[in-house]
Parts: sequence; structure tokens; C-alpha cells
Amino acid sequence: MRQRKFWSWLWVALAFTYFLLPLVATFLFSLRGKKGVLSFLAYRRVFDDPQFLSTFGFSLEMAILTVAAGFLLMVPTTIWIELKAPKLRSLIEALSYLPFVIPPIVLVFGLIRMYSRPPFALVSTPALLVAGYIVISFPYMYRSISAGLQAIHLKILMEAAQSLGASWISAVLRIVLPNIRSALLSAALLTFAIVIGELTLAVMLAWPAFGPYMALVGRDRAYEPAALAILSFLLTWLSVAVMHAVTRGGERSDSGAGAVH
Amino acid sequence: MAFLELEHIEKDFGAAPVVSDLSLDVEEGEFVSFLGGSGCGKTTTLRMIAGFEVPARGVIRIDGQDVVNVAARHRNIGMVFQNYALFPNMTAFQNIAFGLSIASMAKADIRIRVQEMLALVHMEEFAGRYPQQLSGGQQQRVALARALAIRPKMLLLDEPLSALDARIRTRLREEIRQIQRAVGITTVYVTHDQEEALSISDRVVVMDRGRIEQVGTPKEIYDTPASRHVASFIGTLNMIEATVRDAGSGVLDVGGVAIRTAAPIRAAGGTVIHAAVRPERISPSTGAAGDNRLSGSVTETLFLGSTVRLVVHAHGRRLSVDLFNDPDLPLPQIGSAITLSFAPEACIPIYASSAYRPE
Repeated sequence: MRQRKFWSWLWVALAFTYFLLPLVATFLFSLRGKKGVLSFLAYRRVFDDPQFLSTFGFSLEMAILTVAAGFLLMVPTTIWIELKAPKLRSLIEALSYLPFVIPPIVLVFGLIRMYSRPPFALVSTPALLVAGYIVISFPYMYRSISAGLQAIHLKILMEAAQSLGASWISAVLRIVLPNIRSALLSAALLTFAIVIGELTLAVMLAWPAFGPYMALVGRDRAYEPAALAILSFLLTWLSVAVMHAVTRGGERSDSGAGAVH
Repeated sequence: MAFLELEHIEKDFGAAPVVSDLSLDVEEGEFVSFLGGSGCGKTTTLRMIAGFEVPARGVIRIDGQDVVNVAARHRNIGMVFQNYALFPNMTAFQNIAFGLSIASMAKADIRIRVQEMLALVHMEEFAGRYPQQLSGGQQQRVALARALAIRPKMLLLDEPLSALDARIRTRLREEIRQIQRAVGITTVYVTHDQEEALSISDRVVVMDRGRIEQVGTPKEIYDTPASRHVASFIGTLNMIEATVRDAGSGVLDVGGVAIRTAAPIRAAGGTVIHAAVRPERISPSTGAAGDNRLSGSVTETLFLGSTVRLVVHAHGRRLSVDLFNDPDLPLPQIGSAITLSFAPEACIPIYASSAYRPE
């Protein structure tokens, strides 16, 4: 028994090392801004660059818009599929794999071609960027929301709500959404992480996003990119923690998913 | 005019008919159970009354109003589901209050009503608990309170006790009946458990393959089953294969022995039917004059707690005989010869098929 425990811990330690080592290495590298001594010079230079905050702010804005628009589009649709057309589920799941199959560069060229002329001259609006981001995050959003709805036995809860006089919208707002909070949270987090670091769409559509900024810095400087990488990691992590804290109440209803048996 | 009227209801799922030509009247305040095995259409019928399914043909009237095109949320019915369907993100109090807050009731009034309901189902101390902190029986009580809080016209229960274990089931079904009587609400109860249906209903509707086989009081269903399906579904029953000897006098032939029924037989001489006799109405003795008599040998004795069941082979048929467990009375030995008797009134002729038609 002790031997098995030893091996379990060994594998955990190895996995941990595998994931943490690059991060630690990057962090150590980022401290070498000043010759011969470990300092936060690289970080100070990053913060002194006004472009850092403006591009991060822009990407943050885009991320929030993507999550909001994505939810508005996907949540009612997924609920509708679960309730009215559960047989379509496997088709939609198959469709949700398409963004994995189509490279972002192909997607963006398609978008540019489609929307650069009237009546759909959207190529110079941020809406197109958000739309592209929604497509890229579609697999994560759909599967997360769909799994969340299936776990709560959506149909029966909706019927119970209706038998008590609730309209569809009432039932969705008061019962469905609160009970899929953790699914929504994980969908939001994944989307967030994708959008913050996204490069191809932002570059090709010429937007001052964080991804292109990092690529630019990486081309010209040595230590600043490492500092940037650590910073963006920390900032994303912070946003995740904030989101998690805001939806804290969802933890109770997570374990509640098993009560409806 | 009955409170709930179902007229010639039909429902198909794809090509298969799930409910066929179903007609039924339920009076106000009555407790009616739909009883049948899975797939008999009882839950589908309940869901049509609730408004979650739409009948392909037929009329449903609640309190005189045609509701077929009325959405479930406007029918003012209270529904209790098999898996309770409590909202996991709300406490017991909030669950019960839900329907009332949808109806925009004042907060103070909601509080009074919810306390009333919690007291009705004996769940006052659990008001602040979440569904996952409650046992199955407790959850079902909250579900019942939630359904009744909105003062619905009718209460519909879809196998509410089948997810609970036996002892809780027995206790809770009596409570449900008490509450229903206290509130006086018209109730339709769906179950596959015949003991449940018989013990708490005013009337039982036995269904099979989308049709009503029989409607009657529990005693009527039990004592005079109208069809083979009803007879074999309710309680244990001896189905004795017999040939009609004299239809007018009610005489059957069981392996050469003459068996009498109390009423004329509705089949021609020579037809093979079944004579149904309840195990508790057979006596292991020669009985009174005029009783039917069969002789056979005991093949098994089964101890069932308060009853002892003898399995007897007589004239090529297998019969069960139920006796009260009397510790002073010696049980017959396996293999011993035995004479059985039962009154002609206990012998019910069961024909090949029957279809129920309300008057």
C-alpha cells in the first residue's frame, strides 16, 4: 500500500514539474533584465510602456463582449435544443468541432472576404472581431452549457416551473441559469483565456489587441516578453479568481445537481 | 357536470398509439388513481391533463372549461413529479414560495402561506434547507407543499412514491391522502403499485395498452375484476382454466369436476374461460353445503408473515391458498392430500377480453 502511495505521489510530482517548470523558467528569465543581478527591471519597462495597458484593456473588453454576446446567443439556443430537439444534439456537437478543424487564418480570410463589402461592410468594426472570437470559442461554450443543462434534468425543472405558473423566460432566469452557474463560469473562463491571448484574428483584422502586442515585443526585446508572459498569466488568473468569487453562490447549486434523481 | 372530463382522448407517439379512445369523468374532491404497468399510457394521460402533452384527438375539460389549447402554466394545476423536481438553487421555503412569487403575491402574504404549507406537510424545521440536504421523503413533502401552495384546481401526482423505500412509501401515501381530504382538492394519482392505488383512492382506473380496462372503487376492482388483465394485475389471483358446461346455471368443468359460479356465464357451452378465485377465499376444508370442492395435494408451504400460502396441485391446475398465520394450527405436510372448498360467489368468470365503456 505504501508503495502504491509512493508511486502515485511520484507521478503527481512529475506532472506538476512538467507544467510548472516552463513557468518557473520563464519567471527566472524575466528577472534577468539587469546584467548580473535578479531584478524586476523588465517588469518596470513593461509597465512604463503605455501600449501594455491599452492593448490588455482592449483585449479584456473584447473578451467580455465575446462572453456576453456568446451567452446571449448560445444559452437560449442550447436550452431550446435540449427541450425541443434533443435529437439534434449529436449534430450540433459534431458542428461544434468545426472551429477546431478550421485554422483561424482560414476563418479570418473568409470573414474579411465576406464582410468587406456592402451590405455587410463590417470588416472595420470590432463586431467582426467579436464574431470571430465567438466562432473560435463555440466548442467550449456549447459543450459546457450543454453538459450543465443535462446535469440538471432541464425538462423536468422547466415543467415544474410551468406547472407553478412561470413563463419560459421566468423559468430560465430564475431556475435554469442559477443552476448552471458553474457551467457558465467554465465557459466564460475558457473563452476569456482564448480571447486574451489570441493572435491571428487580431493581427489580420488590424486591432490593437494584447496578442499582437506580445508578438511585437517578443520580436524586438529579450526579457520583456518573458515578463509579459508572466504578467498576462497573472492577470488572467486574477480575472478568473474575480469571476469565481462573484459567482460563489453557484457552489451550493453545483452539488445540488445530483439531488434531482 | 364532472370536474374533470376526458372525452375520447387519443395520443400517438409517431405511428404507435399510446392512448386510445379514453373517456373518464372525475368528480370534484375525488381521489382517482390511474393504475397500470409501464407503457399503459397512464403517465401520458396525466401529462395531457397537466398540459405537457397535447392529445391528438379528444376533449379535456377542467371545471367546465375546455383546456386542450390552454398552456400548462395557465391551467392552475399543481403537479408532483416522481423525482420531486425541487429547484436545487432554492431552499424549501423558496421552493414553496416560487409559485406565489410568480403570481406577484405580497411578500408578507407569501410568508404566511408558505408557513401554512410547511405546517401541513410537517416540515416547519426544514424551511431553510436546500433539496440536497433533505431525504427523499422530505423532498417529496416539500414538492407536495409547493404544488398546493398556489391553491390549484387539481392536484396531479406522477408516481410520487416510487423512488422511496417501502416503509416511507406506506407512511407518506397515507399522509398524502389525509392532506388531500383536508384540502378537498380533486386529485389524479398515477402509480404502478396496486396496493398503493387500492389503499388510498376513491376510485381506481386500471389501464392497459392505452385503454381503460375498468373503473371502480378499490373493492369493486378487487372483488369483481372485469377482465383478465385487471384480475391478474390486482392482488394475487388463482386463474383456473375451465370449460363452460352449462352457461345458464353457471356451471364450469375443471378437470372433470363441476364448479359453480353465482351468476350465469356469458359464453357458449364448450368455450374455455378462466375462473378467478382469490387465495384467501379458498378454505382447506370440505366447507359448507353448496360450496365448490376440489381435491389435490400440497406441493409447497410459504411463510409470508401474517399469512401462510399453500401451493396445491389439483386436477392439473396450480392453486394458491392463503391462511392466517395461526401458530396453534399445524400446517399440512408437503405431499399430503388436501380438500379445498370455495363458495360459488368467490368464483369470478374471466373472459378472453373486455373493453371498458363509461355510461
